[in-house]
Amino acid sequence: MEKKYGVYLCKGCGIGETINMEKLKPRVSGKGRVPADIIKEHPVLCSPEGLELIKNDIKEGTNTIIIGACSPRVKYEEFDFPGTITERVNLREFVAWTAEPMSSDAQSLADDYMVMGIIKAQKGDVPEPNILQDLSKTILVIGGGMAGLSAALEAANAGYQVVLVEKEAELGGWAAKLYKETPRQYPYDKLEEPRVVARIKEVEAHSGIKVFKSSFIEKTEGQPGLLDITIKSNGNSESMRVGAVVMAAGWKPYDASKLEYLGYGKPNVITSIQMEEMAKKGKITRPSDGREAKKVAFIQCAGSRDPNHLPYCSSFCCGTSLKQAKYVREKDGDSVAMIFYKDIRTPGQTELFYKNMQNDPGVLLTKAEVTGVSDAGNGNLYVEAENTLLGEKIKVEADLVVLAIGVVPATRAPQEYLDGLTEAQKKGDDAKMSYIESTPKPDFILNLTYRQGPEIPSLEGAYGFADSNFICFQYETRRTGIYAAGCVRQPMAMADAADDAAGAALKAIQCVEHVAKGIAVHPRAWDTTFPDPMMIKCTSCKRCTEECPFGAIDEDEKGTPFYRLNRCRRCGTCMGACPERIVSFKDFSVDLVGSMIKSIEVDEDEFRIIVLACENDAYPALDSAAIKRIKLNPKVRIIPVRCLGSTNLVWVTDAFSKGIDGLVLLGCKYGENYQCHFVKGSELANYRFSKVKETLDKLQLESDRCQLMQVAISEYDKLPQMINDFVERVEEIGPNPFKEL
Amino acid sequence: MAEATVIKPDLDFVKGVIEGGGESLKKCYQCATCTVVCNVTPDDNPFPRKEMVWAQWGLKEKFAGNPDVWLCHQCNDCTAYCPRDAKPGEVLGAIRKQTIKQYSSPAFMVNFVNSKAFIPVMLLLLAGLLSAAGTFAIPDGEIIFSKFASTHFLQFVFTPALLFGFAVGALGVKKFWADMKKSAGVSSGDLGGSVSATASEILGHSKFKMCGVSKDRFTAHFLVFYSFVALGIATALGVLYIDILHIESPFSLTGTGFPVKIFGAVGAAGLLLGVLLMISNRFKNAEKVGMGSYFDWLLITIIGVIMASGILSWLTRVAGIATVAYSVYFIHLVFVLSLFLYLPYSKLAHMFYRSAAICFLKYSGREKQ
Repeated sequence: MEKKYGVYLCKGCGIGETINMEKLKPRVSGKGRVPADIIKEHPVLCSPEGLELIKNDIKEGTNTIIIGACSPRVKYEEFDFPGTITERVNLREFVAWTAEPMSSDAQSLADDYMVMGIIKAQKGDVPEPNILQDLSKTILVIGGGMAGLSAALEAANAGYQVVLVEKEAELGGWAAKLYKETPRQYPYDKLEEPRVVARIKEVEAHSGIKVFKSSFIEKTEGQPGLLDITIKSNGNSESMRVGAVVMAAGWKPYDASKLEYLGYGKPNVITSIQMEEMAKKGKITRPSDGREAKKVAFIQCAGSRDPNHLPYCSSFCCGTSLKQAKYVREKDGDSVAMIFYKDIRTPGQTELFYKNMQNDPGVLLTKAEVTGVSDAGNGNLYVEAENTLLGEKIKVEADLVVLAIGVVPATRAPQEYLDGLTEAQKKGDDAKMSYIESTPKPDFILNLTYRQGPEIPSLEGAYGFADSNFICFQYETRRTGIYAAGCVRQPMAMADAADDAAGAALKAIQCVEHVAKGIAVHPRAWDTTFPDPMMIKCTSCKRCTEECPFGAIDEDEKGTPFYRLNRCRRCGTCMGACPERIVSFKDFSVDLVGSMIKSIEVDEDEFRIIVLACENDAYPALDSAAIKRIKLNPKVRIIPVRCLGSTNLVWVTDAFSKGIDGLVLLGCKYGENYQCHFVKGSELANYRFSKVKETLDKLQLESDRCQLMQVAISEYDKLPQMINDFVERVEEIGPNPFKEL
Repeated sequence: MAEATVIKPDLDFVKGVIEGGGESLKKCYQCATCTVVCNVTPDDNPFPRKEMVWAQWGLKEKFAGNPDVWLCHQCNDCTAYCPRDAKPGEVLGAIRKQTIKQYSSPAFMVNFVNSKAFIPVMLLLLAGLLSAAGTFAIPDGEIIFSKFASTHFLQFVFTPALLFGFAVGALGVKKFWADMKKSAGVSSGDLGGSVSATASEILGHSKFKMCGVSKDRFTAHFLVFYSFVALGIATALGVLYIDILHIESPFSLTGTGFPVKIFGAVGAAGLLLGVLLMISNRFKNAEKVGMGSYFDWLLITIIGVIMASGILSWLTRVAGIATVAYSVYFIHLVFVLSLFLYLPYSKLAHMFYRSAAICFLKYSGREKQ
């Protein structure tokens, strides 16, 4: 594309009062970068008149637009000019709102930012989306419980073909095993028939949903849009292609045999699951002698919220026990249901049901730490509790004890199995490996053929749930195109599982639609660029394949890497990893950022600090600080990067050889409770950085000139101070000796 | 570590509290706001939260010898601030009713006086007794009420009724006191000092002054209390004049007992005013603290009717309307008799149990002096 440039400077929002435009224009056009006559200014560029100015130029053939105005994070609808290269330079937040008005510092900042913007536009190109062939838009739903059925219906009703795989012989999961369900409508006092029954019928009658029962996924290979799955049903295998996956594999009750201290193992101590079965059969009786139970004790958090068992709240057990108390009371008006709880947690409208149940004279509730269940003779039991509201230490006789058993996600067993193997392998403990392999293999859910392992990886603090720490994108997993919904994601009641399913189905639809258009799936859900390596220079060092957080790069038989592009989230980690610097995007490359760095004006008497800021959290945090008008040291120049993982070490050399005095890598918190949109970008940057410090030391450059900072978006108010402190430390070290060269 | 206490939930007790005016009992989720806002509870082991949870669980035995439900003056600050609308003030009232039942004998009387049959039965009973005395008719001539119900008749029927009431109350207090000592593990204390401190607290109505949302209850209770005292004195003087000194009734309009009459009339007016104030407070605070139970209303009704009929019979006597005067006087007598019998089984029994509880608080040293 022959580039025809247009440079537009906005004077609104305080920019005109901070920067002298008449001085800025010749500096920008100077050095022969762009002709002086194409630089235009406007008092309010985002106004209809201002936008008209740009649009008229586009009609005249302008196709490469550099706008010096507000942050690119705002007004993106106004400054959207399809088919052009549009580069937004953040004069408002990074200059007008953070520097002294009309100072030489402000002027110098504006110069550097505008020149960097022009260089970025010069080096960049209009992206052509890369659309892969033979894509499928079919959505695979794993699990036929409440979440799975709902996801299938949501996707099918939106017009997508759905394949539903259920491992049991019937659809419905746990929801279908219930006697009754908690009330769903005002005034929340009547138990209802399980809603899943209607949903099963709807799914089975839906022409867009193909149901496989008594089946599981034997193999999943490929990438979003091109996921080739093999379904195993009753010994037969069937293969098909799907576009995306909703994983609604559900949960298992916690192993009650570990709850001996709560009396499990005694004949008249049962779990809430057994209670449902019994209620469904008709009478609530004692397993020991078949007599009707008159005094039923419910022990909440049986296993849950206990560091020795399940450290989390299983969410629906309070509602379940209140419901089962109603079974007891409805079957016999003289019976009592006693509920011992840590806290009653009845989210949403369940609270109204709780209030109604509380009003029943025969439903007795107390906060308690249940310490044990002992025999009271005649098959009866004493529930022993401490710290109750009834007294310090109490004993209550019951003829039946129900343990409100907690939720264990279906993902946990395979995760523990695989983590055990990985750990043993790491330690070289062959005996342990063969021991683990000799134990029964748990039910795998996905059986991915990915280099990163067959299942969704475990995450510390997620306790086996398919959590990904994607705080903004809850259904996403760390495998692109696979979305978790329902209790496999976190413990939740049925209504929430249905909502969750809708969310996950929408994400799956987004996935298949985006890959069909060659757009990144998420989080860069607008991005049509893609990593485009110059393979002729590849040395097959495999750093990219190892470092890609999404396993998007595999190796062929010869060991040469190749992309499974639809798994790629466009973070640029491969670009940062590649020692040959062969990976580029149309608007982001090693050369492009390196040229920006090199374009910064370095005066012998001035300190210059570069901040490579992650676009996802660090950059908005800097914007937020600017909105609060928190001053930032004007010696600092901020360059956004897609992710700290995309930071190539050569940029460090570029900066210091040019005479830059200090460099900050500003990224997200990493570690197990990371906040990185690309999972491990800042962690990788930190790893690479540790190597660079050695190099700097060898060059007799103080390694303190480089620092990686982790920042959460909520820490924006502290961020300017963190950077200013760094500048002071660099000033103490003194100017970069390479300046004089 | 101490042995665990075995608790025995009693569903009937829960139902009893609910039916006795504590229908909001089960709404409590034990947040303790009530205990925090209560101005009259002792700091040590405060009420009413613990009473709420005991009542929810039907732990009847916890209320045996529990002075705390009686320390409650039903200011209803708790009810006004309760986030769950559980009305602890009303619930404690209902629990007190259960306690009265527990300590009063014979048991059937409790149900009887609080049943809707009570007043009609009293009416029939008095009519029967008057018929037996041969005076159940409107007498001719000057209106003199002793022609309808003779002084001897009154002494024969009403004095034993009153004594019965006090005796039942005293017996109840005796049991209650023993239970309180047992459950608090207190064996001795300064009984004389406690009684005099209690008397001064009651006479001064000091606890009522601590009430927040229903401050007006102080004035109303104060009026009712002292009016009863005034009426009691007037009645006692009447007995003194007629039965002991054998001089002219102080209640005649012209006689020498005229000052006693005035004493009685002022007491009557005060009582009427006090009851009217109570009713108006109820309505005024109904939104915040609830309307009260049948149990509460019955007492107010009885006192109200006694006062209204007393004054009306006096006025009609003066006006010389014999039929109305005697009929109203009959009603008056029915309600007075009801009040005497009702005394130890009803809300009015609080004069026994609350006094005992306040006294025990001082006796046991739980209330910081």
